Amino acid sequence: MKVLLVEDNERVTRFVVKGLQEAGHIADHADNGRDGMFLAASERYDVIVMDRMLPGEIDGLAIIEALRKHGNRTPILILSALSDVDERIRGLKSGGDDYLTKPFAFGELLARLDALCRRIQGGATQTSLRVGDLHMDLLSRKAARGARAIALQPQEFKLLEYLMRHAGQVVTRTMLLENVWDYHFDPQTNVVDVHISKLRQKIESESERPILRTVRNAGYMLTADE
Amino acid sequence: MSRLVRSSAFTLAFSYVAFGFAALILFAAPLWYAWQVTIQDSRTELLRVDTQRLSEVFAREGAVGLAAFINTRVGMQIPGERILLLTDPHLQPVAGNLPEWPRVIPMQPGTYTLPVNLGGRHTKAMFVHTVLPGGYNLLVGRDQTLFAPLTTRFWYGLAAAVAVLSIAGLLGGLMIRRALLLRVDNIRQTVLAIVQGDWSHRLPTKPSSDELDTLSRMINGMLDQIEQLLHGVRDVSNSIAHDLRTPLAELRSRLEELSLTRPAREETFAEIDAAVVDVDSVICIFNALLRLAEIDTGMRRSGFVPINAAEIAQQAVDFYLPAAELKGINLSYHGGPAAMSGDPVLLAQAIGNLIDNALKYTRDGGQVEVEVQALADARVRITVADDGPGIPDSEKPKVPTRFYRGDTSRGTPGVGLGLSLVASVAKVHGGALELTDNHPGLRAHMLIAPGTVWASDAGESQRELPAATKTTAQQPSPESVEAG
Repeated sequence: MKVLLVEDNERVTRFVVKGLQEAGHIADHADNGRDGMFLAASERYDVIVMDRMLPGEIDGLAIIEALRKHGNRTPILILSALSDVDERIRGLKSGGDDYLTKPFAFGELLARLDALCRRIQGGATQTSLRVGDLHMDLLSRKAARGARAIALQPQEFKLLEYLMRHAGQVVTRTMLLENVWDYHFDPQTNVVDVHISKLRQKIESESERPILRTVRNAGYMLTADE
Repeated sequence: MSRLVRSSAFTLAFSYVAFGFAALILFAAPLWYAWQVTIQDSRTELLRVDTQRLSEVFAREGAVGLAAFINTRVGMQIPGERILLLTDPHLQPVAGNLPEWPRVIPMQPGTYTLPVNLGGRHTKAMFVHTVLPGGYNLLVGRDQTLFAPLTTRFWYGLAAAVAVLSIAGLLGGLMIRRALLLRVDNIRQTVLAIVQGDWSHRLPTKPSSDELDTLSRMINGMLDQIEQLLHGVRDVSNSIAHDLRTPLAELRSRLEELSLTRPAREETFAEIDAAVVDVDSVICIFNALLRLAEIDTGMRRSGFVPINAAEIAQQAVDFYLPAAELKGINLSYHGGPAAMSGDPVLLAQAIGNLIDNALKYTRDGGQVEVEVQALADARVRITVADDGPGIPDSEKPKVPTRFYRGDTSRGTPGVGLGLSLVASVAKVHGGALELTDNHPGLRAHMLIAPGTVWASDAGESQRELPAATKTTAQQPSPESVEAG
């Protein structure tokens, strides 16, 4: 994955660039709005990480708006120290695809970048999902592991659907809260973990191979790989 | 003097006096006019009567007789009382007390007013000119200044009225000012004392509840609130000192220890991970505080959309259900639809906090009930009741204050901001958080009055609501939150 990071804070930049490189990605970096704008417009990136507030006359949102106006559809994650819900909405409205508040865990950033990249690749109108022998029919709203049908509550179905759509990717607790429950706040409890473990009981019977992994310090990953 | 002029009481008195003058003028002007007309009429009438009598003398005794009569009359009267002149057809004087025919009076008979010189005295007189048979001209006039004393008396009367009005107005103004100043001074001194830091002072109020008393009472209410906020800030500062310093101190000692002892690789990583957890807990407290500040400043009201509180509560219950099951707590929901305008994100978080709180303090196998009721007075009541240890009555008012943690809650996870957030969310929605006893346990009511928003800009936000209805009713996506 080729990532452009537009961020003026040196330490954050070093932290993100190093992390991305260690995860096997290519990271370009600009420390002001003008260079960021130039790179974003001239090179092809899989995803752009944009700081909301940048030195100089062009700020992050202005760059995003300009890029979108010129038909650039590269997924953009906005990075900001402004945590207001309103700020988040403004960021998304300007054309950003996701919003992450500073300070953040690198695992969270990586998971979200991953999700943004694949979202563009994956088709939107699937009628069924498959991860290994786990199968989900989105029309009849039924799930099965091999021949064993799995009875799911509507919420569990939504949760599993999200995990399956992001199979092979790390999905963080915050991402689950936002996308499955539409909760844009921190409930400050481990309720998501409880939901996951309940789901896990249903999709992994004792004789079956575990497919829902817990990724330390990050979140969860549904994968058929060993 | 300048202070006197600037005082509001003086302005008030002055306006009243000015108003009195205007009223007086409105009253006197028609009177004056009517009076003038009456005087004019009676003057004309007097002259006509004179003319009539003289004409009769002329008819009876001829020109010579009339001349004699006029001369007798003129000789007998007080100088200047009547002006009489008889001339022959060539306007040559025959008798009378005018030396010559006034040239300005034309030959047509009629009534004229003109200045004359009466024995060196310049005055204005009114004349009636009559042409007698044989072409004789008879001029009968009267000095107008004869009525002057009456006019003067009228003006004197008017001036006296104006004087009385002015003095009364001024005195009234001074008295009002004195009374007002006394009370304003009271207020000023109280405020001064408060500004200097003595918060025990309150404005004096009487049971009369006049405007000033109502104002004083409102100011007292405001002072109470400010004092409460001040205490709150002090409490928060203390609590921040405690709740933030603890993880920070831990973090610091951890890092320092690492730097000093330089332990083995594995151990170092474990310590670093623990340090990250410490930092996260600090961030968590900061986020909660920022969010509270965000709600308290009322900014989130821009996100008000029509919502169904029951739906949000139901979803929150569904969300916490697995966690409740894990503890063997029976978490149940009942209630009907409750349409209201509000912020779905905030409401979800508030209800979530209440449920989370209830689950935290209810022992295993307990009972937590969530209920949403649309009350008859358009208010919505969201209740979360548990059968845990509850909160003693003495602590109930303190619980929603920031960082407050009852003795029973020490040792359970949390930073003591959960119920503050609920209280703030309820307040933003024009309601309040009420804590009552559940015998045993706690009943937390979130009363929401969607009609009444914060007083400061109530009208504005209420007007905004209908506009938000159209675009955002169906989709509870994050974009919809801003549309209001």
